[in-house]
Amino acid sequence: MINNPQHLPAAAIDHLLRDTRPYLSCDACFDRLDTYAEQMVSNPQHEDTAMQVHLLACSACAEEAEALIELISGAGTHGW
Amino acid sequence: MMLVQHASSEVNRVPDDGWVADLTAPGLRGHAAQRNLHDLLIRAARHQVWRLRYQLPGAGSGDLEDLAQQAADDALVAVLGKLDSFEGRSRFSTWVYKFGLLHAGVAVRREAWRHREVTLSDTFDVVDATASPDDVSEINDLSRAVRRAIASDLTPHQRRVALALLVEEVPIDVLAERLNSNRNALYKTLHDARVRLRASLRASGYIDDPSERSAS
Repeated sequence: MINNPQHLPAAAIDHLLRDTRPYLSCDACFDRLDTYAEQMVSNPQHEDTAMQVHLLACSACAEEAEALIELISGAGTHGW
Repeated sequence: MMLVQHASSEVNRVPDDGWVADLTAPGLRGHAAQRNLHDLLIRAARHQVWRLRYQLPGAGSGDLEDLAQQAADDALVAVLGKLDSFEGRSRFSTWVYKFGLLHAGVAVRREAWRHREVTLSDTFDVVDATASPDDVSEINDLSRAVRRAIASDLTPHQRRVALALLVEEVPIDVLAERLNSNRNALYKTLHDARVRLRASLRASGYIDDPSERSAS
């Protein structure tokens, strides 16, 4: 199967070949998430290469970062 | 302790170290602090469940609320178990929120995949569903090179993890649960697989990244 000349979705190729250096684990990302989010709210141009590389490569951690930034920036909470 | 919805201007204020003392206090003071902590966690959990509700198209408002409440309960246990790791580098509420968001996100993804099978294959048979017939019939050099590298340069475990996460788009928490692993270990496996794939594609001339030639 793997030798069939089938089309891999472009997004999958992009994800497969993503450069995820410098390495940062999900646990380390979680440890730093609160300070990172506050820094991003204070200064949206804030740079943290390891965090930003990780968040581009890990959608679960990225969802948490986006949600935390929304929460602390007062972008709204939701109810139903 | 009063719960406040903080705006961006409040982010840099002095960390609230009173929380830890209140939460570890005996009696009514401790109980009241735990209720306030739970309120923070509910706020975070509801926020994340609401953001991710598109993953649960059949869920009603009661289902979503139940999910948020359960996530907040789980997060409460996690926060209380890690109180001594709060170092005051951020506001306490920010630190707490991330636990609520984590548990809510995991709960939503787990629920969304509860009845879905996860195929753990070290080969793949994927066609881009959005591609036109012409696109599908077109043989893509890079795609073939990536497929060859996946087949020849990754370990079976790396292949299974990379294909499940990046081609089948199984959420990392869900895959971790099915493999009896954890997010950290799967991300490391994926990182190592990516390093190998990039090295292979660089050696065959498909990508060029001088910074990687001396990198480990």
